[in-house]
This record gives sequence, C-alpha cells and structure tokens, in this order.
Amino acid sequence: MIRQAAFDHPVTVAIVGATAGVLAFAGLVIGVMTLLGRGTPELRRELWLRTGSWCLLLPLMMGPVLLGREWVIGAVTLLGIACLREFDRATGLFREPLVTAIVVIGILAANFAALDHWYGFFVALWPLTVGVITIGTIPLDRPAGYVQRTALGILAYMLFGAGLAHLSFMTNEPGYRPILLMLLTTVALSDVAAFTFGKLIGGPKLCPATSPNKSISGALGALTVTTILVATLASFIFRGTPMAQPHWLILFGLMVGIGAQAGDLMLSSIKRDIGIKDMGTILPGHGGVLDRFNSLLLVAPAAFHFIQFFVGFGMGQPARLITGP
Amino acid sequence: MEFDLRPARDHGLEGADRLKSLSRERGLGSLILGRAWRTVLRGYMRAFHRLEVTGRENLPSPPFVIVANHSSHLDALTLSAVLRGEAARRAHSLAAGDTFFTSTLGSAFAAYAVNALPIWRKRTRPSEIATLRERLVQDRLVYILFPEGTRCRDGVMAGFQPGIGALVAGTEVPVVPCFLDGAFAAWPPTRKYPRPGKLRLTIGAPVRAQDLPSTRAGWEETAQRCEAAVRALAAR
Repeated sequence: MIRQAAFDHPVTVAIVGATAGVLAFAGLVIGVMTLLGRGTPELRRELWLRTGSWCLLLPLMMGPVLLGREWVIGAVTLLGIACLREFDRATGLFREPLVTAIVVIGILAANFAALDHWYGFFVALWPLTVGVITIGTIPLDRPAGYVQRTALGILAYMLFGAGLAHLSFMTNEPGYRPILLMLLTTVALSDVAAFTFGKLIGGPKLCPATSPNKSISGALGALTVTTILVATLASFIFRGTPMAQPHWLILFGLMVGIGAQAGDLMLSSIKRDIGIKDMGTILPGHGGVLDRFNSLLLVAPAAFHFIQFFVGFGMGQPARLITGP
Repeated sequence: MEFDLRPARDHGLEGADRLKSLSRERGLGSLILGRAWRTVLRGYMRAFHRLEVTGRENLPSPPFVIVANHSSHLDALTLSAVLRGEAARRAHSLAAGDTFFTSTLGSAFAAYAVNALPIWRKRTRPSEIATLRERLVQDRLVYILFPEGTRCRDGVMAGFQPGIGALVAGTEVPVVPCFLDGAFAAWPPTRKYPRPGKLRLTIGAPVRAQDLPSTRAGWEETAQRCEAAVRALAAR
C-alpha cells in the first residue's frame, strides 16, 4: 500500500497550522477577558475548561492521523469502545453483558476489516453483526426485555461500530490525511460555531425540549460556516476529480454540517429520554467522550459514501492485506 | 427480568469516586476481569490449600448474603472462589475501606477484580446501609460479609455485630452461614503472606430474618441467629 508522508498535502499543513493558531488565539482572548474582567466568572471558567480540553483533545485526534493508518484505526477502535461504554452505562445496556460483548466484537471486526482493506467483509459486517445481536440472547430463554436490549445493541453497533469504522476505512486511501483532518476539525468547529452564534445572536430555540441551549441562529450560523469551510477545503482535496464541482462541494459541505448537528441532537434526545445531563465525566467542560464526538457519528458514514460515490477509497491499492493469499 | 432503561447507579461519578462508591455497578470489563481473577483464585485454592467444600447445595439463587467466621484474608478469597455462575457475577465482598480502598491502585483492584464494596468501620452512615440494603434486593446481589467486623487475632470466633441485621431483617433475603477451617493457620493476621495449608469450607442451610423488624432489636436478633448458625457448623 502506498504511504504518503504526514505533511505531503498542503491542506494537512494548513489545517494543523490553523488549528494551532486558533487554539493560541482562543487562549489569548480568554486570557484578556480574564485580565479585563469581561464576561461572568462562570462563562470564563467554561471557556477555559473547553479550551483546555481542546488542547488535549486536538492532539489526540490529529496525532493518530499524522502518525499513520494503523494509528487511526487503533484510535477509532478505542473511540468506538469508549463511546459504547458510555452509551451502555447511560441506557442500562451494560446490564446485558452478552449483547455488549457482541457489540464489542462487532466494533473490533469492523475496524479489522478496515485494517485488512477488505471492503466486502466491511459491508457484510452490517447485517452479520445485527443478525448475531438479534439471535445472541435467544438461548438465554429470557424473552422479557428482548426488544429493548436487541434494539439498543443494534443502535450501539450502528453508531460506534459500523458508523465510526468508516473513518478507519478511509485510511486505505493514500491521501486520507487531509480528508480525515477536514472532517474532524470542521465537525468540531460546527459545535464551536453553534455555541458562538447562539451566544452572539440568540433568538428562538431550535428544539427546546430536546436541547434547551441550542438556538436556530446558532444552528444556521454553524451550518453556514461548516458548509463554506468544508466546500472550500474539499475543493483543494478533490481537485481534478468528478467531485470538484461547486454544487457537489456545497452539497458535501451541507451534508457534513447537517450530519454534525443531527448527531448532536440525536445524543441530546437520548440524554433527555433517559434524564441525564452528560454521558460521562472524563472531559472537563464537555462531559463524556460521546458528548464531544457525537457530531462525528453520523458524518463518518455519510461523508464516506459521498466521497466513495465520486472518488472511492483505496482504489488501486492492494486489498485483504492480512487475510489475503 | 425486564429491561430497565435506567443509567448505572454510579453514572456521573468521577473515576476515583466511582471505585469507592457503594452504587458501583459492574460492566463488561469488570465481569471479564472478575472472571479471570476467580479462575486464578480457584487454581490457587486448589494448588496451595486443597480447598474442600461441603454443603454447596445450600447456596440459593441471588439475592443472598453469605456470612462466615473471619480470621484471615483468605476468608473472602475462599468464599469468592466458591461461588459459581450468576451468584459469582453478582457477588460483592463488603471489605474494610480503611484496608482495601486507601490508594487508587488498591481501590481499582478491589473494585474491578474482587468487586468489593467499601465499608468504613466505625463511621458507616445510615444512608450507606440503606443503599446496600436497597441494592441487595433490587439488583439481586450477593454480599460476602464477615459480621465479626475484623479478623480475630487468636483464631477464636468473636460475636457478630448487628450490621448483618440492618441489611436483611424484615426482607426475604436469606443469609447463608459458612464456617471456614484452616485459614487462621494458613494466613493469620500476624503473617505478611499465606503459607500452604488445608482449607475446609462448610456451607450451612440459609437463615431467614423476614419475621424480624428492621429495628435495633431485629438487627441484633438476626446477628444472633447467624452467629448461632455459624457456631453450629464449627461444632460439627
């Protein structure tokens, strides 16, 4: 498989540089706010916490992408399992260890298929894992709760296994780094933009019963920023391919922007239904891993199949690296 | 058991607090670690202590509380190793917080491998007892408990504290009395490490306390019944 150096693509250099610059600027702005006593202490504390977490998270997100495909696949596998753990403890699925174990195996298998560059197995794992989850607990002869545990298991595999593993499969494309960095940073920026526009403009709420803090202005602002940014970056990344036409690029940007916010609202719906505020406590200022990465859950498969339609991933690269003859 | 769309009881707790929480619920990782730990433990008990168990048929389905005489750290390990299946997965040793939960590493081992819950001697709050009692019934747990409160220093069993009664008096949860012989000789409190030696565990018929009120008098009566049952096993 062809391997490119970490900073071969100018978009990679631009995204890493811009991210470092934005973090430094954010630290500077909040530092000045603190010195001048601007904003409430609660707001400043929240901003410091969020920025501090980003300083830890961004290297953890970007580091594996720059290091190589195996690192990305390892990181995505760990992310999937961490998300599953938070999800199963929030929903009560952890009280069904057999279903949880099947989902863990599904996550490992999906990422193995990506590591192996075996697209047939990667696609087949969808129905296969769902099938195993569906029949897995029948031998326990405990029909009470069957629908709930099976449905939660399938949802968990869909989101944290099959869904997230699309990020892993993208690494079979030699030029995967700018694509992944674009998705990771723009999805993160979508959250920040929604927060910022919402605070600056305010106005009517988007879905007050689902997420009381999200406003329509925040959602539209974030969608605009994300669409423009994704379309611009994608125009450089996919230059010379059938995807590099303005309408497709804008559609791609819209899809990433909507997917990011839909993922956020999906997790909010889960949390409101259960009656909890955060999915975990591991990231100060954010909550749990899922609270931070929810926007990526729906974007990963959507972006993969959009790009796959026009360009493809790993076309011409050797397949079945591990299981092949 | 119907599915309960309810977060873990320990949801929202920070990592270190979760380890020491009486509300800690086991996940897949803890179950796998616990299983591995029990496998190692059973091998050790077979190889070094030729553990002999009688009365295994007296163990009911969860929930129940298993009580025994306490003269050695081997006691809790032996009782953990004896449980099987669902009872083993649902078992919590009620361990002295000031001995097993003083460091993060020790707490992590006690929590994840042994699945112990901390009891803070002489400063246990009524709310903590209430939590343990509620979880015992609602979560269908198994508690491994030594009602003497501490390891005896001379090998002679002391009287039972009424804490066992606070957990089960007035409920249908049975208490399974056990007598472990040989643990004091193998690993007395004065030794740093255990030495090989035969262990014999006798499991008695369950004791009930549903006819007793959950009051101080009821707790003491429960403790007396349990103590009498363990002493009867010792006298066999």
